Amino acid sequence: MNAQSSRFPVFLTGVSHTYRGEAVPSLSGADLAVERGEVAALIGPSGAGKSTLLSLLDGRLRGWAGAAAVLGQSLDPLQAPDRAHRADIGFVFQDFALVDRATVWQNVLNGRLGRVGVLASLLGRFSEADRAAAEAAIRDTHIADLRDKRADRLSGGQRQRVAIARCLAQEPEVILADEPVSNLDPVRAEGTLRLLAETARKRNATLLFTSHQPELASLVADRLVALKNGSIVFDGKSDQLTPAVLANIYGSLPQAQGERSQSLRLVS
Amino acid sequence: MSGKPAGQRGPERERKAAWTVAAPSLLIAAVVIWAGATTEVDPGRLLEAGPRVWGFLERMFPPDLTILPEVARGLGETLRITVLGTLGCVIGSAVLGPLAAGNLTAPYVHRPVRSLLALMRAIPLILVAMLMVGAIGLGPLPGILAISFHGTGMLAKFYAEAIEDVDPLPVAALESAGASFLQKLRFAVWPQMAPVIWRDTIFRFELNLRESLILGVVGAGGIGLLIQTYVRSFQYEKAATVTIAIAAAILLIELGNAAVRRRVS
Repeated sequence: MNAQSSRFPVFLTGVSHTYRGEAVPSLSGADLAVERGEVAALIGPSGAGKSTLLSLLDGRLRGWAGAAAVLGQSLDPLQAPDRAHRADIGFVFQDFALVDRATVWQNVLNGRLGRVGVLASLLGRFSEADRAAAEAAIRDTHIADLRDKRADRLSGGQRQRVAIARCLAQEPEVILADEPVSNLDPVRAEGTLRLLAETARKRNATLLFTSHQPELASLVADRLVALKNGSIVFDGKSDQLTPAVLANIYGSLPQAQGERSQSLRLVS
Repeated sequence: MSGKPAGQRGPERERKAAWTVAAPSLLIAAVVIWAGATTEVDPGRLLEAGPRVWGFLERMFPPDLTILPEVARGLGETLRITVLGTLGCVIGSAVLGPLAAGNLTAPYVHRPVRSLLALMRAIPLILVAMLMVGAIGLGPLPGILAISFHGTGMLAKFYAEAIEDVDPLPVAALESAGASFLQKLRFAVWPQMAPVIWRDTIFRFELNLRESLILGVVGAGGIGLLIQTYVRSFQYEKAATVTIAIAAAILLIELGNAAVRRRVS
């Protein structure tokens, strides 16, 4: 496993996890290896384990079994990764997770917190290199005109671009994105997702994102990985996604949509 | 007031709804009548006192401005007591507030702390001050301590609520980016709490000022002593000066606070 886990920036074997109080496992025996610079999408019905898998890779999930490594460093089911490892793994949150009262610039600069000295940052001191990384992220996400605005004054699409910029400011080698565009209208969703994939490719970073829109995901990703009931049921190139495959993943389509809208209602 | 929610039209329900309005009304009326009947309030006395009230007001004018330096000294002391008392509230709340926050401590910690805070708020300031004067002696120190004690009961509760209202998502995001504990506090928790903390502290300062005006009456320092002295010795033109000065001071502080509050929100 060691040789492989250092070759693949994202590497999982036999990963299982069950949420406390749940009978059905959220992940059961999942294997996954993602290449450096690859853009891969995790698809599948709600509750299939997509978000669980991502939070595991981000080092935020506890009590799972199996083996997982990100950037060649093993993850520990009992504790969070150290600062340096967390800084190397970027995460884009579905609900943006911005600090509302802070400016766009400060929110993006927050992406550098894992890379700077704690004392200096507490005093508000960021080095030239940190500022340059934040500037580059702002440029790549086209939000230069928003930099002095407060995060709570922005539209949903703008907020998601700031969240992406914060992640890019980290200069992560692996970018994980949990439903990064589900809060955006269809046109903005596609634009934002393309932006995320383009910048990841430009920086030769590995991107793994979840999506409940398989068609949209296949437009942007090189590779699709489908989860169903915690297991990987499809893993292939985006152009291999056929209606038959979709039916296998989601069940018969009307039913799948019914399930989805129901669970959405439960979430919101 | 027929109490007829849509879809509940049966006579049974209507009778019930009528009672839910009538019963409390009858109860309130009974309490008011009882209070009036047993307290010997005679409206006639107010009419009889008419000329005397007028004389009283006449004796307040013109206000005696020669005591202004003394009033300024008293107000100054009250202000200092308020500032130091509010500082005491902030220190006490910085310790007890986090302990009372349900998302920071276990129930066996935050429940008793919350009860303690409720008790601290429940004891009126003037009572705390009298006890402090008894324990420590006359002067501003018991006043400062009394305000710190009484005000912490409220401010620590507000601080705890500010902590509970912090959205955990941005905190998780910074943690994910590699932020340390202190960095999370500084860059994700504090920015969310700061406006509430400022607003509540300013509000408590204003309340402390109003409440501390009376402290002098029980010997706990400040301008209250002047009010008591002048009213008891029938020097109403001087009492009038004190009253006007107090009103002006409170208005000024209120204006200042409103300006600060606008800035921090």
